[in-house]
Amino acid sequence: MIIGANPTDGHPVFASRMKKGLRDGAKLIIIDPRRIDLVRTPHIEADYHLPLKPGTNVAVVTALAHVIVTEGLVNETFVRERCDWDEFQDWAAFVADPRHSPEEVEKISGVPAESIRGAARLYATGGNGAIYYGLGVTEHSQGSTTVIAIANLAMATGNIGRKGVGVNPLRGQNNVQGSCDMGSFPHEVSGYRHVSDDATRAMFEALWGRPLDAEPGLRIPNMIDAAIDGSFKGIYIQGEDILQSDPDTQHMAAGLGAMECVVVQDLFLVETANYAHVFLPGSTFLEKNGTFTNAERRIQMVRKVMAPRNGYEDWQITEMLSNALGFPMHYNHPSEIMDEIAALTPTFADVSYAKLDELGSVQWPCNAAAPEGTPIMHIDGFVHGKGKFVITEYVATDEKTGPRFPLLLTTGRILSQYNVGAQTRRTANVVWHPEDVLEIHPHDAEQRGVRDGDWVKIASRAGATTLRAKITERVAPGVVYTTFHHPSTQVNVVTTEFSDWATNCPEYKVTAVQIMPSNGPSEWQQEYEGLSKAARRIAEPLVAPE
Amino acid sequence: MSPDRLVYMANQIGKFFEVQRADEVVPGIANHIKKFWDPRMRKAIFAYLDSGGDGLDPPVKEAILLLKAHAGNAGLSTETSFQGT
Repeated sequence: MIIGANPTDGHPVFASRMKKGLRDGAKLIIIDPRRIDLVRTPHIEADYHLPLKPGTNVAVVTALAHVIVTEGLVNETFVRERCDWDEFQDWAAFVADPRHSPEEVEKISGVPAESIRGAARLYATGGNGAIYYGLGVTEHSQGSTTVIAIANLAMATGNIGRKGVGVNPLRGQNNVQGSCDMGSFPHEVSGYRHVSDDATRAMFEALWGRPLDAEPGLRIPNMIDAAIDGSFKGIYIQGEDILQSDPDTQHMAAGLGAMECVVVQDLFLVETANYAHVFLPGSTFLEKNGTFTNAERRIQMVRKVMAPRNGYEDWQITEMLSNALGFPMHYNHPSEIMDEIAALTPTFADVSYAKLDELGSVQWPCNAAAPEGTPIMHIDGFVHGKGKFVITEYVATDEKTGPRFPLLLTTGRILSQYNVGAQTRRTANVVWHPEDVLEIHPHDAEQRGVRDGDWVKIASRAGATTLRAKITERVAPGVVYTTFHHPSTQVNVVTTEFSDWATNCPEYKVTAVQIMPSNGPSEWQQEYEGLSKAARRIAEPLVAPE
Repeated sequence: MSPDRLVYMANQIGKFFEVQRADEVVPGIANHIKKFWDPRMRKAIFAYLDSGGDGLDPPVKEAILLLKAHAGNAGLSTETSFQGT
């Protein structure tokens, strides 16, 4: 079951493996507003495609659970053995309520009830059932709730803790997993331990000789809010183009513009660099040693094949910055950084470059209990004891369509470009995708007098931009879709400040918009082009007087 | 930081917890805010509550009061979670 992911475009390496499994006879359920390639492609046809209205994931996944519970498809042996039975019973009563039936949920989601029933039966009874989900799940105001609902589904059917099953997030970038593992959150240190845990903090304090703050910091959207109100003054950004990738671009620009010190370290003068006071040239993956960790927790070596053109690997730049700021930091090689990670992180205790060289890669946890790593998690039990079933009430997003903004915009990526295109736009890949286009259903296009290839303005309550229209039935009536690869379009001018209740992950997947024919760039695009040109001017070298 | 934004965020958290078991609603909201909100955000929401707390849903108000009463001590749980995009 694939929910809110488009593997052939977003995760092509994984998709090729998945296609092999599908050609070998695996059944396929796709839950996605768009008719992605895997719905029907040579030798592959999804058994069920549930084309839900953007923002209704929780309702649809809970409806799947309704069918599983009310039709007696629960794996009771697994639930009794591995999960909290009382909590299961509460949850089962919740999902069994008639308001979660496929027939009721069809009214909200637009997905035919029979498709939901068929998909639920197939997932529960078709043998090993694996769920793969992507940003189409997380990038919603109820993203976390959907992930919980998915976990409930896997536990209820016993589809967890063995080969071929499980809850498998397809990460947004190649090393999201590694960044998360290393505590790239404002509230955690490595190994998903909260900063308020005294014993954990004491380990770091003993090694580093400095006290650590026990309080969480700000997340990016909150940083920007705090910058605008004057209480957040500086930021160090490595390899992330937040001006283009984050929502509500004009708000982001105001926040970056309000800061006293913006340091950007990147391969190119990315869009965020327009607001940088200091730009530090970064190094590519070919110019540095280190590790990437993929979605299956597999730690893999990244090996330098050439000296960095800028003179330094990224970790060396951070080290120099730390030394300049007064905290002495010295490593001879990233392997010493990994040794420090192993000393401070129980799930990485046995990870070392020597082991990675010997085995090729390892999947954490890798420690005394699992010296060669852990390919499959949750085999005999969950980390925190009995599996918890949690109630997942559907709460409609506050981003609603109406007379002014009657269509729903959802955004995504395509195969030939990567994210904001900082790297791929600078290659010949632009031949395949020279600009972002707006996918619109023929009915919606006709109502607005829009023809294929016309320039259209897309406007939301946050802002407006222009791009060309592509008329297609890949999107349902009422839904439009585009990519965010090009700064000339910068579609995040249109996306809003709404975010997930638990993580503040922006709600990129649901924005109420209007589309109309246009004959030129929006006001924002004109202003931004001027700013971008001005910010990239290079001063004439100073000539010393003779 | 705008009180409207904080009220919105707090109520969003409240909507998730208010359907959980009765004894988990208020502690759940309080714990989430304690674990994930920067101190300046918590301080701002305490000040907003002191000025009347208009717009905060009842269990959210109760949770913020609980949090305020525990401010400065580490009494609430610190169990954490996997995240990322």
